[in-house]
Amino acid sequence: MRDLLRLLALGRPYARWAAAGIALNVVVVLANVGLLALSGWFIASMALAGIGAIQIEYFAPAAAIRGLAVLRTVGRYVERVVTHEATFRLLTELRVWFYEHLEPLAPARLQHHRGGDLLSRIRSDIDSLDTLYLRVLAPTCAAIISVILLLGFLALYSVPVTWVEASGLFAAGIALPLAAVRLGRDPGRRAVSIRAELRVIVSETVQGLGELLITQAAVRQAEAIARLGTSLVGQQRRQAWISSISSALSGLAAQLALWGALVITIPLVRAGSLTGPDLAMIILFVLASFEAVAPLPAAFLALGETLAAARRIFDLIDAPPAVIEPRCGAPRPQIFNLRIRGLRMRYADDAPWALDGLDLDVPQGEALGIVGASGSGKTSIFNVLLRFWEYDGDIKIGGVALRELDGDTARSLFGVVSQQTHLFNVSVRENLKLARPDATDAELMDALRAAYLEEDIAGLPNGLDTLAGENGARFSGGQARRLSIARALLKNAPMLLLDEPTEGLDAASESATLDALAKLMKGRTTLLITHRPAALRIVNRVVALRGGRVYVGEAEAAA
Amino acid sequence: MSRADRTKLEGFLRGKVPLARVPLTVAIACGAISGLTLIVQAWLLARVVDAVVIHGLARDTVWPWLWGLLAVFILRTITTTIGDAVAFEAGARVVLAVRGALQTHIFALGPSWTRRQRTGDVTSTVFDAAESIGRYYAGYLPQRVLVAFIPIAILAFVVPTDWVSAIILCVSAPLIPLFMVLIGRGTEALNQAQWRKLAHLAAHLFDAIEGLTTLKLFNASRAETASIAQTSNAYRTSTMEVLRVAFLSSLALEFFATVSIAMVAVYIGFRLYYRELHFLPGFAVLLLAPEFYRPLRAMGTQYHARMEAVGAADAIVALLDTPVRLSSDRRGSLPAAPIRHIRFEQVGFTYDVEQGGQVSGARPALEGIDFALARGRRVALVGPSGAGKTTVSQLLLGFLTPTRGRITVDGHDLATLPAAAWQSRIAWLPQRPTLFHGTVLDNIRLGRADADPARLRDAIEQAEATSLIDGLPHGLDTMIGERGQGLSGGEIQRIALARIFLADADLVVLDEPGAALDHETAAVVARSIDRLSSRCAMLVIAHRLDAVRDAHEIIVLRHGTIVERGRHRDLAARGTTYASVMGLPVGLDA
Repeated sequence: MRDLLRLLALGRPYARWAAAGIALNVVVVLANVGLLALSGWFIASMALAGIGAIQIEYFAPAAAIRGLAVLRTVGRYVERVVTHEATFRLLTELRVWFYEHLEPLAPARLQHHRGGDLLSRIRSDIDSLDTLYLRVLAPTCAAIISVILLLGFLALYSVPVTWVEASGLFAAGIALPLAAVRLGRDPGRRAVSIRAELRVIVSETVQGLGELLITQAAVRQAEAIARLGTSLVGQQRRQAWISSISSALSGLAAQLALWGALVITIPLVRAGSLTGPDLAMIILFVLASFEAVAPLPAAFLALGETLAAARRIFDLIDAPPAVIEPRCGAPRPQIFNLRIRGLRMRYADDAPWALDGLDLDVPQGEALGIVGASGSGKTSIFNVLLRFWEYDGDIKIGGVALRELDGDTARSLFGVVSQQTHLFNVSVRENLKLARPDATDAELMDALRAAYLEEDIAGLPNGLDTLAGENGARFSGGQARRLSIARALLKNAPMLLLDEPTEGLDAASESATLDALAKLMKGRTTLLITHRPAALRIVNRVVALRGGRVYVGEAEAAA
Repeated sequence: MSRADRTKLEGFLRGKVPLARVPLTVAIACGAISGLTLIVQAWLLARVVDAVVIHGLARDTVWPWLWGLLAVFILRTITTTIGDAVAFEAGARVVLAVRGALQTHIFALGPSWTRRQRTGDVTSTVFDAAESIGRYYAGYLPQRVLVAFIPIAILAFVVPTDWVSAIILCVSAPLIPLFMVLIGRGTEALNQAQWRKLAHLAAHLFDAIEGLTTLKLFNASRAETASIAQTSNAYRTSTMEVLRVAFLSSLALEFFATVSIAMVAVYIGFRLYYRELHFLPGFAVLLLAPEFYRPLRAMGTQYHARMEAVGAADAIVALLDTPVRLSSDRRGSLPAAPIRHIRFEQVGFTYDVEQGGQVSGARPALEGIDFALARGRRVALVGPSGAGKTTVSQLLLGFLTPTRGRITVDGHDLATLPAAAWQSRIAWLPQRPTLFHGTVLDNIRLGRADADPARLRDAIEQAEATSLIDGLPHGLDTMIGERGQGLSGGEIQRIALARIFLADADLVVLDEPGAALDHETAAVVARSIDRLSSRCAMLVIAHRLDAVRDAHEIIVLRHGTIVERGRHRDLAARGTTYASVMGLPVGLDA
């Protein structure tokens, strides 16, 4: 229930669209019931008038019948356009809201969620949330309003028939759908999670097909996919049975209401308390009135899946961010020396310390090389400096405590070249402009030249407009690295964090890249993580890490 | 999409009907019975109302009709339940079959194809597209039969009963499909484009979320919100454009249906007034008039299901029609004995350059490659990026077949050997290893779930991964985050290396081993690779000196041809391409 309210609150900006859709829905339902009931009354009256039993003025009802027909038709069209417009607006709102809430969690809180899983969340879950308005909220509200009006009208003629009608509507619109929801909750929940799992396994199979083939695991993977596919169909089959039974029973409830109305009203006509045309009208009224509750079974069924999706989304984004940013960040430092004292951090409360009492000093404009075995905490220093993870201890840049800076200000201080830099599947130009949105092509080419990429890019069929491919697939590892160097050049930040900048390069391009980096590092305070001796020639000093702290002291290295 | 394309896609969908023949037949039969009960119900109801309203009869005299009504209601409840449930079965069977076919084809196309695709697109095809075509069988096809059957059955009742109403129904009914087709045609093309756009939308979001860390580094992550809103809004605007037109076709249907019902009611009324018609048939026809249009109305929904299915079939057929470039005649067999020699004999390879799914040119990647691998020997492949090293390894792994020359395995042409049999002899360390969803243990034992614990421990030790795994929260049972977020590049590589050591293969292909490792670990791993190389044939692609120094032969590639070969000492002394690639000063004796 709380999830539902939270979802509804998200849609508040579009409440008017939503209300208009519901009002139109009511108009359409009432027009249809009115059309059929009036038709029944009309032909019975005309038949009785024909045999001279009663007198009738027939122009007004005949015109009303035609008018209701047009109202229903046009009303339906406008209603559909309005409800869909409302739905899509809501969908955009949801996507943006989800991204905005996800953004502060990256990367610390997302490492346990796999990319495919996230995609599935954003797509399936948010897409299934669109059913909230179109298939749940709008039909439910419209049904409630229509039913109240319909029952009120019927009560003018016969209270017992109203009770029969009310119980029929209750069974078809509420009792049966609720039973269906209860039964459908379990398969619905499972279908959502199987679907997510299936999507992940398909996407990792596409990505790692080569390894699966070589290790002979392809067949097993294929079987796993087939198995998941079959069990998804199994859940869907249960849902299909539940929905077809509940919809058939809802139909039966409508027919029983009709039957009951007949049985009650026949003696009333005999007794003279109800006219013949009224009976004909009531029969068609009851028959048509069930259209008002017809969408409810589907609505209740969709509600289960929607709430499951909502739960998963709320679970994900409700995680507290790893870093609490200051309410009002300190001003950006003006000098850029780095001073670290007693730095400790770990990735989870039960994880070992990744950094454990680290002390470092880097004077402004100097370059410090950091070496150490993998797992010794080198990359963790960067995660802390970039404010991706929280830390204990003391870090000061130009005398300002890092903790007092807001994350964006802290990150604006650093140019970064790392293993994890992502190339977006947009053009090379857009990938570079990320670092400096107003850069001219000439500036981009300068940066590419400095990163020894000018020829590579010029050689591409579309030059700067070439798409980078998924995860930068268009480029080799070395090219991707040099692209991220070009980005760092463009960003022109006062400090640099370089994580294995020359990894994956052949020796010739390594030395060229190092030359480019040496130029870039001039005047910039730099931390360089590397295990390549060649790279250490461009730093002033080198420290080695072990177990999250400096362990051989500071060994002077020849620049 | 042209008309011919649509016909072809529809032909594809029709071709799958035999898979669902039985459930389809049952669903249609159930629908037909439900339709017939409607006529009986209308007549019984009219009978009762006529008796009471016109003839003033008491309830006791109409009880038999009332009981009859009840029986009809129950019969219809049963047939609609079964019909709906069985229709689902028809869709499910086809969805499973198509998904299976897609998967088989993707496996046949192999890694040389998948590495050029957007993962999000392929996943969308296998997943969403396959699911969309289900409704073609579960909804559209049964409805297509019923849409003809039920109105004709009702008409057969109405014609002798009340010919004026029959004429109104007859005139309006054909207009409905006509208008729907006229409007539907325009929508269909838009609908196809829509589907592609949805796949693109998915890929865009995926990309943004995967690159969230990078976006943050450039303080661009919040700006990306605007881009997501924009993409989403553009999707809404264009979808609404499609829907506004699509809804017109149902507007046409509703209009004709509703106005015709009103006309039927008004005409019956006036003819009753002038005593040209009896009440009973008049009332029965009025009750049936909405039922006459109901299947057509349901068809409106199903028509969209069909368009969506045809749109989805586009992606499916495109994938299934992608030709498999690997040679298919693989009836040869590989001797069970350990492989001794693998030779590249004048191997050349040319990539097709594709534009919009059409082959538009050729890009030669390799020419005249000649070398041999042998048990106990290590060959290293070096060269600047783009020289063709990856293509050589793809050919060797069986992901590509040479376009010229041949590769032989102990004298057998590799192109004639079953790929799986060959690949079962290989262990491969790719440049960026994939870790699959599951535990670390699952990943090391990938494809060898039955590996013996002692050998497993040994493999982990050889890969220098023991302390790494001990440091994980649950050791070997730690779950992997996708693409190893949470594990560093070096750690991922060591887990992948353990996989290699466990494999005990005849041929080992290493793409940049140790590239992500620190110096010490790399040296240790290099030593264990040394030990491994005595038991197998080994090809190492490398940039780093320590990985190639001890190779029995170093092959230097440049622009797709071999420019130099020999041992490290000789090549280094020569001081040409090799020396420059490895960053050695001319004449240095390393």
